[in-house]
Amino acid sequence: MSETNSKFDPFDPTGMFKDLRDNSVDAWAKMMVKLVHTDAYAESTAKMLDAWLASSGPFRKAVDSSMSQALAGMNMPSLDDVTRLAERMTNIEIRLDDLDAKLDTILSRVSQDRQGS
Amino acid sequence: MNATENGMPRIPSLMETCEAWHRIAMNTKEFTRLVTTDAPVAQTPKEVVWTLNKAKLYRYTPVVPEDQRKPVPLLMVFAIMNRPHVLDLRPGHSFVEYMLQEGYDLYLLDWGAPGPEDKNLKFDDYALEYLPRVVRKLKSISGSAESSMLGWCLGALISTIYAALRPDDGLRNLILLTAPLDFSDQKSSGFIRWTSDPSFKPEPITQTLGNIPGEMIDAGAKMLKPVENYVGSYLMLWDNIENKATTEAWHAMNTWVRDTIPMAGAAYEQLITEFYRNNALIKGELRIRGERVDLGRLTANLLNVIAEADHITPPCQSEGVMDLVGSEDKEIFRVRGGHIGIMAGRGAQKNTWPHIDAWLADRSGSARAENVDGGSP
Repeated sequence: MSETNSKFDPFDPTGMFKDLRDNSVDAWAKMMVKLVHTDAYAESTAKMLDAWLASSGPFRKAVDSSMSQALAGMNMPSLDDVTRLAERMTNIEIRLDDLDAKLDTILSRVSQDRQGS
Repeated sequence: MNATENGMPRIPSLMETCEAWHRIAMNTKEFTRLVTTDAPVAQTPKEVVWTLNKAKLYRYTPVVPEDQRKPVPLLMVFAIMNRPHVLDLRPGHSFVEYMLQEGYDLYLLDWGAPGPEDKNLKFDDYALEYLPRVVRKLKSISGSAESSMLGWCLGALISTIYAALRPDDGLRNLILLTAPLDFSDQKSSGFIRWTSDPSFKPEPITQTLGNIPGEMIDAGAKMLKPVENYVGSYLMLWDNIENKATTEAWHAMNTWVRDTIPMAGAAYEQLITEFYRNNALIKGELRIRGERVDLGRLTANLLNVIAEADHITPPCQSEGVMDLVGSEDKEIFRVRGGHIGIMAGRGAQKNTWPHIDAWLADRSGSARAENVDGGSP
């Protein structure tokens, strides 16, 4: 992790016990890597995530719903409206890219014809 | 500050004390600056030549005269849940800069950060909606009917799918870096172990959150080696705080690590169910927009770069593909290092980059001229 420092330096808060610190951190790191690679860890984190989603989901839905209603009341677009608009913009971009491809083909053919004649 | 001859610590003078505390204060200030600010990254000159939704195709400004450039252009495809800046971290330590100096016509596909409207993007879209369009544009700009592709991490997965589905699109060379393709071993890494646990359900996550927040992906990656990432990295910085070269490198890498982006929800779900759990690509059962992905149809020259100490994509996830692809010219290149270190670490400039360049240079001569009829958007 770092160079060995056998010098005593009262003004280096981490350097004083560097060997001890590095050895402890290395041991801790190895232990944690072993821990996070166990089935028990995988199961417990999955369950914690599940519980968090289950508890926060309804709250999140309620906030979204009230926000949509408030925005609709002010004649302003909601996130869903903006999202739908963005999707349509992407579809238009795809059509434009198709046209760009066709234009490239036409220009290339014209150029080839000119070179041929 | 050293011990005296009799072994007892020498009491420092008032001046030494003041100097030492001043040094600690300055180091603390520098430490805080490095941890909380962004370093300038991705500075190599480039221009946007194509966009679609959030995706951008960049062409780097060539630094070698046209007659000395490699005829086959190179497209770099990075992962979908990180910025691609790590390929161009800082001047003097940039893969992009290195390849430009070696004479490549270099392009970078930046997927961008998906918004709520992109939560339904899947690997199908990345491989068959975006990549073929990017390749068409690249061919149109470069005038070459053939191209090389370098995919890293999930970018390598997308590149592999594309190469197998569109073998006639002019892809001459494919370079895969730490490619997560084979998930036969369900205990091979932390990610697959966590997500293959029956208690883990991706559907509620995407239903609740839409896209997977970048912070969540970052935390997942860091938790694979929690002490190194949350403690060791900062201790290393403090220990080397007066070493400008080390702190600059750390600052640039930390800037890239901190700049997280979300991952499209549908792609995340697909990654876990179809790839991690069902191993559909290797089994030959993966269907992308109704087309079966047959790795035997991947015939481009293949360089598969594997990081031997990769804890995110362990070597076994990349090796298996070699027996399944149809490429006649294929090579595995093993590098000492981790998932990112093999391309951005200290050894990359001496080892990985020259090998990629040498392999690619041998296969980048005399490209066919582009006939735009061949493009398939």
